[in-house]
Amino acid sequence: MKTKIAFYRKKLNITQEELAELVGVTRQTILVLEQGKYNPSLLLAYKITNALKQKKIEDVFKIK
Amino acid sequence: MKNKQDKTRKRNLIWRYSFATLLIIFGIVLSYFNMSNEFLGFSSVSLWLIYVGFVMLTVITLQMLFKKERIVDERMEFIASKASRVTFIGIILFAFLIMIIDGIKPIEIAYSYFMSYLICGIVLLYIVSYKILSNKY
Repeated sequence: MKTKIAFYRKKLNITQEELAELVGVTRQTILVLEQGKYNPSLLLAYKITNALKQKKIEDVFKIK
Repeated sequence: MKNKQDKTRKRNLIWRYSFATLLIIFGIVLSYFNMSNEFLGFSSVSLWLIYVGFVMLTVITLQMLFKKERIVDERMEFIASKASRVTFIGIILFAFLIMIIDGIKPIEIAYSYFMSYLICGIVLLYIVSYKILSNKY
């Protein structure tokens, strides 16, 4: 899965740690999500999208 | 969400304390009725039960006092479930291997040693598979 987490996170000027705290996961999870190694659940994808102030999940996560 | 986590933690704590207390009570009862000398082939079970119970109580109390709040997210649960599966398959393969080896040359190791090695092996296999999988996912 391709993600734009890093892009939107940098745009909002927040660190991985801060984003992790916002969505209630560990920093490692944010790291692997940014690398596209792990496919998140719908709930986590929704939380991340909300935390990154985006409207659609598809804006942040894209299936390759 | 936080309230639910607190409730689960409290319930777990009660369960763990109850189990430790049960071990101590069971150990005392066995000791009182002098049943511990030969219990299912093991000797001095009651003292060990009391010892394990007290160690458990100490560990639980120390954890409760000093443990930092840990986050367990869905990725960790996913990796843990995969590591458990790998460990389970490992146990099956190991049991098969043991059967073959025992058939070729009987294993003359003491049962208690064998169980200790087996449990250490299971824990080690789980940790190693968890570490490898956490690099992959």
